Amino acid sequence: VKLVDLRFEERGRVVLASLDGEVDMSNAEALRKALESNMPNDALGLVLDCTAVRYLDSAGIHLLFKLREQLRNRGQELRLVVPGNAPIADVLALADIPAAVGVADTVEAALDGMEPAADGESAPG
Amino acid sequence: MARKDEETSGEAFSQPGEGQVFLGTAGEAARLSPEQVAQVYRVGDPALSELPLEPLLEELLERIRAMLRVETTAILLIDDEGRELVARAGKGLEEEVERGVRIPIGRGFAGRIAAERRPIFIADVQHADVLNPILREKGIRSLLGVPLIAEGDLAGVLHVGTLTPREFTNEDAALLQLAAARAAPAITRARLFDALEREHRGAVALQRSLLPDRLPEVVGVSLAARYLPARDEVGGDWYDLIELQHGRVGIAIGDAAGHGVRAAALMGQLRTALRAYAVDGHEPSEVLARLDRLLRAIRVRGMATVAYGVLDPETGVLRLASAGHPPPVLVPASGKPRLLEAPSAPPLGTLAFSRYVDREIRLAGGEGVLLYTDGLIEVRGESLSEGLNRLLGTIRPGSSPETICQDVMRNLIPEGGAADDVAVVMCQSTPIPEKLDLRLPADPAVLAAIRQTLRRWLREVGADDDEVGAITLACGEACANAIEHAYPPVDSSFELEAFAGKGVVELTVRDMGRWREPRGENRGRGLTIIEAIMDELEVKPTKEGTEVLMRRRLGAGA
Repeated sequence: VKLVDLRFEERGRVVLASLDGEVDMSNAEALRKALESNMPNDALGLVLDCTAVRYLDSAGIHLLFKLREQLRNRGQELRLVVPGNAPIADVLALADIPAAVGVADTVEAALDGMEPAADGESAPG
Repeated sequence: MARKDEETSGEAFSQPGEGQVFLGTAGEAARLSPEQVAQVYRVGDPALSELPLEPLLEELLERIRAMLRVETTAILLIDDEGRELVARAGKGLEEEVERGVRIPIGRGFAGRIAAERRPIFIADVQHADVLNPILREKGIRSLLGVPLIAEGDLAGVLHVGTLTPREFTNEDAALLQLAAARAAPAITRARLFDALEREHRGAVALQRSLLPDRLPEVVGVSLAARYLPARDEVGGDWYDLIELQHGRVGIAIGDAAGHGVRAAALMGQLRTALRAYAVDGHEPSEVLARLDRLLRAIRVRGMATVAYGVLDPETGVLRLASAGHPPPVLVPASGKPRLLEAPSAPPLGTLAFSRYVDREIRLAGGEGVLLYTDGLIEVRGESLSEGLNRLLGTIRPGSSPETICQDVMRNLIPEGGAADDVAVVMCQSTPIPEKLDLRLPADPAVLAAIRQTLRRWLREVGADDDEVGAITLACGEACANAIEHAYPPVDSSFELEAFAGKGVVELTVRDMGRWREPRGENRGRGLTIIEAIMDELEVKPTKEGTEVLMRRRLGAGA
């Protein structure tokens, strides 16, 4: 069994990736590559749902910072979904993640405002 | 029967005429010469009945060819559906078998013999209604065929042919019919045996291929399992051990009703489906409800009893649901084993609306649960409770699952094998020592196992959910550091000790490498995390490497 499960969905022009499991130095790098390689060029951003992540250590924190950098270089935004009572909420706070990456309680809240309000033709921000 | 057929057009088959129906009776045989009688008896040689189907057919054809002095002989057997004849053996007509010639009952030479259950003689094949082109291609001129009938059932057709025109006589036909009458039961028996043998081999292979070839290794749980096919048949029993997300393990046992390939195939479908639902993370009761729906969708008449449980090694909590399966046995670390009466629910596939319920029990260290199929406890002429009592009496609490499975199979399976197949699977919550003292390879892959063990240990020493999460994280950071520091050729292993006393948890991580100042923000972050979580942190150089000592008081709040 894989330590962590990763599933992708498309929500309009935003990629929603859901993580389930644990992130440590044994899988963080592979996870980052999987996330990056599944980002189409025309995607506006990535919402990473960490609701079901029950362990994430400094290797995971590193992954999040690096992922944010990579996406930013491509003009794409990273947002996290981490409910306040999530097992990893404390470690994210310790590492100042909420100051660097948008964190929302729910997937809907994270998606909100990422898609341009007008439909269709508007150019990516 | 064999009427000499002079017709060259239209109905080319002979019709039975007055006094021309040959029956394989003693009276008819009495008209034969002693030599002919001896030949007929050679066809019914009891020694032949020992032969498997293929050699039996070959031998029969050889003897018949010699008896009637013909160039070709062939046997076609009726297929399982009873609609077609299939060429199974031939002398001088091997192509017929190689090409798998099939003749519909009622059509052509052999088909008519089968449909009308009487001998047919064709004097001139070239001008007769013969379906099988091989007969013409081989240049056969005359044919004589008789039905093979055993106990009133048509088994097939036996025919002989010549490459020069020949008028088969009534005696020839009588001889062939007698030979057929004597050969048919042996053919039927050999065929049945062959089919059973093939089915059995197939079913055994299927069953074997469906059972796990190795058991998963899950931290905090000991697992063992056994499967034993029935003495002479394959059944639909199975067990499964499934690694699930979050270090949990799924334990399944089931019994698809019936025997043979059908039961084994149903078992295979249910096993695969159970695995799929289990891996998706459903509760045991939900897995059973889905299986029940699936069974209805794939098969009208199929039934199975199943028990499925999910064990969380970290907490020892086992959630278990049963669909009409015999009650699991709770095996304590000491004391008497007892039956766990799961909330009763009917077997899968029996009621239109079934409701399955989860039962939750907590396994303390050393406690386990044994699941089994009814073949283990059912003995003909004995009540079920006798079998259950024998099972309970066989289990020695405190033994490993491996030993318990072995004992159970050794003591409850009669010599020479069981009448029904038997599956047994056991999980046991591994006893956890008061003090952890682990030596581990410096490989990132061990981190998950360390967390799994430590969480379990922390719960045993009284840590609450938040403390388990936080201390596990701090320990994970220290261990990751040790792994990063282990460079070959230095001994690439490290040690972890965990000890609790007076409400304080003390963890020590010792590596054999030189402590390096944290490089980059990543490792610096690890240290920050440890400092934030633990009350005390000491990093000391030792003779061999570095020791990281961490302490935290439990129950103090975060």
